[in-house]
Amino acid sequence: MARIVAAMAMTHSPGLTGWFDRAPEDQQIEARRALDEMRERLRAARPDVILLFSNDHLLNWPINNTPEYAVGIGPEHVGPADWYDEWLALAKYRIPGHPALARYLVNEGARRRLAFAYLRDMQFDDGVSVPMHYLNPEGDVSLVPVTMNCTVPPIPTPARAYEVGTTLREMLRDYPGAERVAVVATGGLSHEPGGPRYFWVDEEFDRWFLGLLKEGDHAALLRECTLERMEAAGSGGTAELLAWILALAFTSGPAEVLAYMPAVAWRSGTGMVVWPDVKN
Amino acid sequence: MGNVERCDKTLPLNEMIFYVRRDAVLRTRWLSDLEGLAREFGLSREEYEAVRDKDVRRLNEMGVHQYYIPQILRLFYGASANSNSHPALEAYRRAYPHETAAAERLLARPARREGRGEG
Repeated sequence: MARIVAAMAMTHSPGLTGWFDRAPEDQQIEARRALDEMRERLRAARPDVILLFSNDHLLNWPINNTPEYAVGIGPEHVGPADWYDEWLALAKYRIPGHPALARYLVNEGARRRLAFAYLRDMQFDDGVSVPMHYLNPEGDVSLVPVTMNCTVPPIPTPARAYEVGTTLREMLRDYPGAERVAVVATGGLSHEPGGPRYFWVDEEFDRWFLGLLKEGDHAALLRECTLERMEAAGSGGTAELLAWILALAFTSGPAEVLAYMPAVAWRSGTGMVVWPDVKN
Repeated sequence: MGNVERCDKTLPLNEMIFYVRRDAVLRTRWLSDLEGLAREFGLSREEYEAVRDKDVRRLNEMGVHQYYIPQILRLFYGASANSNSHPALEAYRRAYPHETAAAERLLARPARREGRGEG
């Protein structure tokens, strides 16, 4: 039985590394403080592996074939992809994978009617690179990346994301190893990458969504935070919060919101969240 | 649903950008032989001209996936320090003056103090 030892979520906007200093100074200070705290809490949980839920920005899969979920099963993960390193202003990094756990997820998922695609050499954009830069800077905690499609229609619903998270939690409970697993979700908050509202964030939505997390009522969140509501707050980007909703299935009770910044300069509503109570 | 549903998943341009981003040789040809590259990937004349003209609105309306539109601009302008002062902002300002102006007003607004744990 693997054991969930931490659950947290953060924005992965490219500005957090690529042009961090273009945001107002108070937002920079707030983001650094929250990211430092996330890293410390992650370290204190002593995970053997980070199970990271993010989304593929049309990097690994062409538009004619975008799986709902894909797992990186390689023994080592190398990023950022060449197209992204200059944009993210990040040097290449290497993080060990966890092939046994990753391959278990693919195969056990199939037995439970979850279709996970997989890649031995997954390429990494901001979705994985930005959180790893801040949370796992030495690359000394193994990583199993799981990307989802939340940008190419049909976009899955929040209920579906929560259902997948629930099945994954049950699968980890049945895993033959005793790994300590940290669940990290990345993406959001409101933004519309490349759309007409590319340079805009919806602060009202972001605060409403974070308020739902703080209430900790999963059923209420799933009822109120519809895909349509997320799309209205930034099409093709805000739905990255499906990764956060998936991670909810590994938690119980209220989330602790470490920080929120309506960071237009970084091009997305920017938030950092930790769930004190995890669920195995 | 939102703008992302305008996407035409079968548009040759949407296939082309995926491969150009991943291939350094194709990225060089983007700058030296865009028309030849467009022909090889089966783009229509309309698709080619919208790319050549960096016409954000036309690209969006013909069904280019919205995520690829800034990437098309990056292929022309480069990626370094791609902040909101990047030429991409100018291209969006031309295409969507109302929406971009609203975003710029947000950017210019005085920072609001964020309390710890505030949500």
